[in-house]
Amino acid sequence: MTIPTTTTTRPTDPPGAAASTGDGRTDRTPPSPVRVWLRLYRHHLRLLRGAAIAWITGLTVVSVGVVATYEDRYATPEELALFAEMEGIPAFEAMLGRFVQLTTVEGATLSRWGMFSILAAVWGMLAGARLLRRAEERGHLELLRAGVVGPRGLTLSAIAALFTTHLCFAVAVGVSHTAAGMDTATSWALGGAAALLTATFALGGALASQLVASYRRAVGLVGSVMGVLLGLRLLAAASVTPEWVWWTTPFGWVGYLHPSDEAWATVFAAFSVLVLLLLLVVVALSQRDLTAGWLGGATDEPSRSPRPVRGHTDLATRLTAAGARTWGAIIGIVTLAFGLLSRDFSEAVADLPTMVEMGNQLGWYDIDTPEGIVAFTFALVALLLAVFAAGQAAAIREEEASWRIEHLLVRPLGRVRWLVTRIATAAIAVVLLALLGAAMVSIGSAVVGSPIAVVDALVAAVNIIPVAWLSLGIGIAVLGLAPRLTAPLTYGLVLAAYLLDFVGGLLELPEWALELSPFRQLAAVPAQSIEPLPLLVMIGVGVVAAAIGTTVFRRRDLQEA
Amino acid sequence: MSTTPVVRFTETTKRFGELTALDRLTLDVHEGEIVGLLGPNGAGKTTTLRTLLGLMQPTSGHARIMGVDAWREPVEAHRHLAYIPGDVTVWPELTGGQILDLLGATSGGYDEAYREELTERFNFDPRKKGRSYSKGNRQKVAIIAALMTRAPFLAMDEPTSGLDPLMEATFQDCLREAKARGQTILLSSHILSEVEAVCDRVAVLRQGVLVEHGTLADLRHLHATTVEATYSGQPPRLDDVAGVEDVVIANGSIRLQVQGSTDPLLKALATAEVHTLSMREPTLEELFHAYYDESTELPAGAGA
Repeated sequence: MTIPTTTTTRPTDPPGAAASTGDGRTDRTPPSPVRVWLRLYRHHLRLLRGAAIAWITGLTVVSVGVVATYEDRYATPEELALFAEMEGIPAFEAMLGRFVQLTTVEGATLSRWGMFSILAAVWGMLAGARLLRRAEERGHLELLRAGVVGPRGLTLSAIAALFTTHLCFAVAVGVSHTAAGMDTATSWALGGAAALLTATFALGGALASQLVASYRRAVGLVGSVMGVLLGLRLLAAASVTPEWVWWTTPFGWVGYLHPSDEAWATVFAAFSVLVLLLLLVVVALSQRDLTAGWLGGATDEPSRSPRPVRGHTDLATRLTAAGARTWGAIIGIVTLAFGLLSRDFSEAVADLPTMVEMGNQLGWYDIDTPEGIVAFTFALVALLLAVFAAGQAAAIREEEASWRIEHLLVRPLGRVRWLVTRIATAAIAVVLLALLGAAMVSIGSAVVGSPIAVVDALVAAVNIIPVAWLSLGIGIAVLGLAPRLTAPLTYGLVLAAYLLDFVGGLLELPEWALELSPFRQLAAVPAQSIEPLPLLVMIGVGVVAAAIGTTVFRRRDLQEA
Repeated sequence: MSTTPVVRFTETTKRFGELTALDRLTLDVHEGEIVGLLGPNGAGKTTTLRTLLGLMQPTSGHARIMGVDAWREPVEAHRHLAYIPGDVTVWPELTGGQILDLLGATSGGYDEAYREELTERFNFDPRKKGRSYSKGNRQKVAIIAALMTRAPFLAMDEPTSGLDPLMEATFQDCLREAKARGQTILLSSHILSEVEAVCDRVAVLRQGVLVEHGTLADLRHLHATTVEATYSGQPPRLDDVAGVEDVVIANGSIRLQVQGSTDPLLKALATAEVHTLSMREPTLEELFHAYYDESTELPAGAGA
């Protein structure tokens, strides 16, 4: 028998595939590392695609809404002049970031990015940690690192994919804002800065992923740093603080974006930080083992006398508490900050009728009073709670997708009992988080002598609980009916409902459309009286949705990811 | 022995869209038995167990544990069993000890002394966090959690995947002890030596169809016995001997397969001057290959 010696490869062979020699042996010529690197890059990009599209669309639409409604909102020179008086008022800048040239559509739009930049940072942080730590935690990176591309190349391919989504963000913002009528240079500067800020926090997530050995800890670490950076922005806004303090935090740079101001400095600062973070990621990566973290992150250190887990209720409480702690920290900081600022902010707004009018249009009533500021605060906390509740539905789904649930459901524990326990602990956590918000806003108000009664803060907290329960109920319905869509659909619905309420007002959508948003149904408590009927309807819908989800969950097969 | 089998599959079928993962499975497992469920990857072993445990709903037919349909009455059915999944995932933030506490508590109780003994025998460190466990250690969590309950029925889906050979041997010892205590075991595996060592009966699945079941002796009898002999002088005449096939005669030795009774063959061999004679039943591995060879047609009526 003649052994063929010709090596054959098919045009469709993937890079890295060994070529067949036709006799059962394979040609072990190493594949080109560049081609393999590109494949890894595309792989990471696929993982990021869904979330990136959602975040880019959400942030861009909201921001473009500001541009599109600018002329209608400030139709007369008087209205514009009143709006512009917000510039330089510390209470506003503490909450929203540095204001520059509010008399222009560019300045008005950039002023909103003080808030939007926080959302962009959250996206960046989550994406960075998910791609680099969660994938490692789940063992996916181990497979990829066994290939011809080393750990550094693999990490850089992930970072390149992250940067690609940020580039798309920059382009989306630049193009959409130019098209909506904003100055071209400012539109692109805004796009670039937003992308750079997101990239900064994505690299923050990537760096934290090298330092600590779990996804949750990585997110906690970057989240803490983010809290400190937001605190620096608060500090920078104080009238006694020198100007340079704005430059100590990425959340301050956004205020320097206007082309006539110091946009170049923003870009320079952001690039410098990016390069520094990138270097740190590479250094930290080379100093640690796979699955471990650089900061003594050996994952197999024995735990000292951990508390026993006494049953599925205990487990549900622990799993819920783990997520609630992070959200509790966020809600606590936000409500304390607004409590501390409630008097100054309301007094500043009292001199700005346009601001009061704009607040009324957005459903933020009486923001020229401390009660109105507390109501505004809880409108924001309502969103945070609804997202937390959606996250709980997603976490319950994760138990199923990972098949950990199998351990429990083959024991004498019914599916309904297990699920109801998880729902109940999540619902209780919502109540506790809302009460925490009430406590912190009361403390903040008391410190500055703002006349907010504890009872008013408690009623404001109770007022927002139903919207979070509704989010949880809908999440459970999705878990039952379309389990694989639990996280994207529930988060998406919460975001869509909030945008409908927030942007719908700016876009002057018909009232019936705005009324579709549950957030629209919340009375501005304590500025207004609580309205029980919409709250009862929300609770009712939430309970029915949860009941449907639970019933279907009982009757369907368990489904993996 | 109780009249109600511990496990009863009755025409159990499970379809995922167009794919039939389990096709009219009918099988009983009786008290005190260890039954091996054999099959290659994708044969339907995991689906069989998940359907039995009520984690998936049969498309048609029934699967019962001690007379209870686990899909309809999971809590009642699960009072009698413990389960070891094939691919164990654990809560990353809990230690091994905490996971055992949890699984023991949700089982409705366990033998604490036996848990300690198993922890020691399997050389398992319960102080580490779930995320740090290797595959083998995660498997040990599930094994200890199941055995420590001393449940009357143990369902196991490739329980030793990831265990080292020493631990595999320990596991087999535990199975024998469980059997000695009267526990019933349904063991899905493709580790033939494990099945051969501990199982009383074997059920062979292929593409969701039960192609054979019975004791290992039964299965061997259904297949050809390999016969080897050496002789001098004239070779024996084997052309018309009932059941004989694949005869190879060369240089004073004979090798052949015989199906069914060996009596006609022995009479035929007696006509020649035979010096040595050996007869060997098929190994489980040979049976396995005979059933799983993709080119082999499924037996007529299999699964019916």
